[in-house]
Amino acid sequence: MEFEGEKMTEPILKVESLTGGYSPRRPVLHNVSFDIRPGEMVGLIGLNGAGKSTTIKHILGLMKPHDGGVQVNGVALEENQERYRSAFAYVPETPVLFDELTVEEHLKLTGMAYNVDGSVFEDRKERLLAEFQMTAKRGAFASHLSKGMKQKVMIMNALLSEPPLYIIDEPFLGLDPLGIRSLLERLVEVKQKGSAILMSSHILATVEAYCDRFIVMHHGVVAAQGNLEEVCAAAGTEMRSGGLEDAFYKLVTGDRS
Amino acid sequence: MKSPLQALEAMWVKRAADYRKEILPYLGYMGQSGFLLVLSFIAITSGFGYIKLLRDVPPDFPFTLVGVIALVPVLCWSPLRTWLVSADIVFHLPLEARMGHYLFRSFRRSLLLTVVIAGLVLLLYWPLYRHGDGLAGGWWLLLFAAGLRAVNTWGAWQERLLAWPGMRVLLRLLRWLATAAAWTAMLSREPWMAVVFGVLIFALLALVYRIPARHAFPWERLIEEEARTRRTTYLFFGLFIDVPSMASRSTPRRYLSWALRWIRYRHANTFVYLYAASLIRTELGGIIVRLGLLSALIVYWFAEAVWLSGWGAAAAYAVLMLILAVQLGGLRRVHSFTVWRHVYPLPDAKRTESIVRVDSVVLAIAALLVWLPAGITLLISGCPLPAAAAPVIMIAYAWLLRPGRMKRKIVREDDEE
Repeated sequence: MEFEGEKMTEPILKVESLTGGYSPRRPVLHNVSFDIRPGEMVGLIGLNGAGKSTTIKHILGLMKPHDGGVQVNGVALEENQERYRSAFAYVPETPVLFDELTVEEHLKLTGMAYNVDGSVFEDRKERLLAEFQMTAKRGAFASHLSKGMKQKVMIMNALLSEPPLYIIDEPFLGLDPLGIRSLLERLVEVKQKGSAILMSSHILATVEAYCDRFIVMHHGVVAAQGNLEEVCAAAGTEMRSGGLEDAFYKLVTGDRS
Repeated sequence: MKSPLQALEAMWVKRAADYRKEILPYLGYMGQSGFLLVLSFIAITSGFGYIKLLRDVPPDFPFTLVGVIALVPVLCWSPLRTWLVSADIVFHLPLEARMGHYLFRSFRRSLLLTVVIAGLVLLLYWPLYRHGDGLAGGWWLLLFAAGLRAVNTWGAWQERLLAWPGMRVLLRLLRWLATAAAWTAMLSREPWMAVVFGVLIFALLALVYRIPARHAFPWERLIEEEARTRRTTYLFFGLFIDVPSMASRSTPRRYLSWALRWIRYRHANTFVYLYAASLIRTELGGIIVRLGLLSALIVYWFAEAVWLSGWGAAAAYAVLMLILAVQLGGLRRVHSFTVWRHVYPLPDAKRTESIVRVDSVVLAIAALLVWLPAGITLLISGCPLPAAAAPVIMIAYAWLLRPGRMKRKIVREDDEE
């Protein structure tokens, strides 16, 4: 998948006044707006039930907005399904694999789905298998993998298609230290190449160290967003004092003393 | 407040009742489907056939072989419903020492069921046995069968305790062989000799059971067995009505997996690849393979008899292929709720198209393979017309009629959701 040069400054993901949820009577998200540009890594943080996963589901097109909308790669899902969907790869919070496919077959399926050229596919596959220490497990069925290995397979599949946007929900759950390191190294690499990353995580120290901007969600609204300085300012904390964690705590507990 | 033992017992009773309540509606659907009618039809016709056989038993009839084939499975098969689930490992592990009390009811249920079934089969076999020259009398057979039944229930439990799956399979095979050998002895030798022989080989087997590593209580084994029984039950009910989807078990099936390599690496083939893999490796594939083999055998028998100058075989083929086609149609329900269906950059119509393609190709291949033995037999017997017509019509159905119908069905079902 290649990027379109003239779009580089346009946001790859644009969420505009999004109100949504499962039931139209009880929206979970209220007027959520943010965007992500190529070459940016953005951390989506919030307590359990803050609306992070619902936001991600709306971006994926699994839920219909009650109001507002989502644009990926300049189009809404209804306008151009293929363009919209081929622009991102998704790593879910819990690994969702096909029990009847092996690790290698999952990669092949993703390669086919995202139209990765045959020879490029072989190179990328070998590199990913080696990088995530999964070469010996290439023929193993998903049902025989440990939770961490399943998560590795999900991440490898996302990286395989090299899309302009990555949507990653809680990527570090169950990963071993080497896996976390490989993932972070690869995310920095794809970012430098111009991809955008939306990463939801509870590991605030990692989010702070790697992300350029942060979106703090609380009770279905964006409580603060921007770079560290802007989030700290919104929380009324000093950037030096406790960093993101301190600001986050103040934003979600309302404790501004 | 109940004592822990009473609580365990109450839990067993409640779980058993819940299960009965859970499957009751499905039994209703099964009744409505006419399945019982078909079953009683089969029972009546085979009953008549059996009576006819009893009236005029050929002198060279293999009494012992038939007795072994009929009784060994029902003497060996030892199911155990424990109702255990994964959560039990967390919540009931501390009660491990008392789980024997919980399992007592499971064993009682298992014994009751298997004794009744074995008794019925023995009762059916008895008149046939009397035509042969077996030496043992009715009481000998009854007592010996009861002994074998008890030993098998015990043996099956010993196998569940074993830690290594390979050893478990090996010992189960040995148990079946030992039962078959002892039962053969009872049907064909002096009863006292059979008893001595039986006692000896089972004593030996009991010693072998002691050798491998064992669990004190095989939690994981029992939980897996329970889950498998449930899956099988629902798979069976799935023949009559939509059942809640359960995580299906997949097996590598290497003897079919090579077919996946034939699917070309292309964007358009994404779902063809996925559905072909699903068909090959899930239980659906297992059903198709077994049904195909059974159909081939039955159609071959009809062909060998050259019944109705070969058209009888063609008719049986048509009926069996229809059943196979209905089963294969279950492919459309696989992965209908997967998130990737919506995330992959492919239109949903492509998924429908791929299912239809896999379905018609597999049906055409099955049509050819199931017919092959019968077709060759009919050609040799000089019936070329039915030999050629049956597969041509079936493959034409698979290629020309079936895809459109399947597509309409998928679209209709998607709309209903």
